[in-house]
Amino acid sequence: MAIVIQPYRQEHESAVQAFNGRLQTSSGDSNFVFSQTAIPHWLPPANNNPVWNEFYVAVEASPASDLPKESRANNSPVRGAYALKQETIFIRGKGPHRIACYHHPLSEGIVDRSFASIGVLLVRDALARQPLLYALGMGGMERPIAKMLKALSFSLTPIPFYFRVVRPARFFREMQALRSEPWRAKLMNIAAATGSGWIAIKLAQAAAGLKSGSPNPATDSVTEVDVEFLDWADELWNQGKESVSFATVRDTTTLRLLYPPNFSSNIASTRRLRISRNGSAIGWSIIGQRRKDPKFGDMRVGSIVDCWAAPENTPTVIRAATRALEKDGVDLIVSNQSHHAWCGALEKAGFLKGPSTFIFAASKKLTELLQPLKENPPAFHITRADGDGLPVNF
Amino acid sequence: MAASTFYEVRGIASDILGVPATRLNASSSPDTVENWDSVQHLNLVLALEEKFSLQLSPEEIDQMKTLGDTAQLIEAKLQTSTR
Repeated sequence: MAIVIQPYRQEHESAVQAFNGRLQTSSGDSNFVFSQTAIPHWLPPANNNPVWNEFYVAVEASPASDLPKESRANNSPVRGAYALKQETIFIRGKGPHRIACYHHPLSEGIVDRSFASIGVLLVRDALARQPLLYALGMGGMERPIAKMLKALSFSLTPIPFYFRVVRPARFFREMQALRSEPWRAKLMNIAAATGSGWIAIKLAQAAAGLKSGSPNPATDSVTEVDVEFLDWADELWNQGKESVSFATVRDTTTLRLLYPPNFSSNIASTRRLRISRNGSAIGWSIIGQRRKDPKFGDMRVGSIVDCWAAPENTPTVIRAATRALEKDGVDLIVSNQSHHAWCGALEKAGFLKGPSTFIFAASKKLTELLQPLKENPPAFHITRADGDGLPVNF
Repeated sequence: MAASTFYEVRGIASDILGVPATRLNASSSPDTVENWDSVQHLNLVLALEEKFSLQLSPEEIDQMKTLGDTAQLIEAKLQTSTR
């Protein structure tokens, strides 16, 4: 049997469904699922769009035929799949470059060792299609995908994780990661019941704000909700892009594709905020509530998914996004940000830094292009919305 | 298949998989060796490419079902490259 990797077409859909079924049945994990439709629901390829998703499937071609390998694969089992998000990155001093995000790789090797080679074939195929490749997230350095990319000379950088507890009592009762041992759970219950947890959290968050060393941002800003991205977003992009060493393009055209005016999803609700001062836009943010996740228990978790502003306006934008989420009644707010200005703005707003499992992995060729990648302080702009981004994984 | 190629491939696999070479034979595969998962498979591919200064195509990687298959493949590639 020969494995052929080819673009995912409609005739593969039933084989992908069977592939998903085998993965889920054998692993017991419902997260092992690839798109059941060949055309992506989010960011489908279309003429002149600057950002789109494309899917590939690894098909087991039957050898018993004189047909070319690609034709033999049409009705054969699917043994793996991956997605590429094609997009443009802006690099200071080097301008725009086309890159791709490697996401949702799935291999039958997860449940059947005789397909252990599929993982290698998928990532090498993606690299052959776009050597300027990256992956984002992955759940930590110790996960197989991160190890595999490291072995292929990708550079791995964790993107800082920040959180702000809005309702300490619910946080202590529901945060499953803090309740893994019975004695810990008991301690968390005491913290929730006595109010000592409330005091500790509020003190820690106030200390984080004080440590960042500057007063609260001016409060003369206005926040509008669910605005459309229009020319003002282009102006902000052009004003701010020289302050980052690199960022995926966030001009109006791209933002309207990423966050369309009629965007809605049954698993995530997002809102677009425009923050203005004296009648002019100074920044924007995408906020939303995360889907339910066992590690957060029954908490309502808000996320500052994406944002953009000149560095001096980042505290105002973070403050506005935080207030909007607090007004929504969330118990906890989380964000992943790489740029030092956004990290500082989160700290000023009382966010605490936690361990990050959100990893940016750049291929060897992309790492060379992005040099110096490891700056101090970091000036590249990556957020939770980068990579496979919305709608599932923020 | 030359025994020397098999022993070299087995030695590399032994280092990568953390299994004594004496417990690996020509029919050893991801199905029979506990540590042989997709990450280790990639490490094995990369180690073989480096050791023998060759590049394995997707079709060839797909042929690496057992250590014996792998050694045969490497030997065939080495012979082709020296011709």
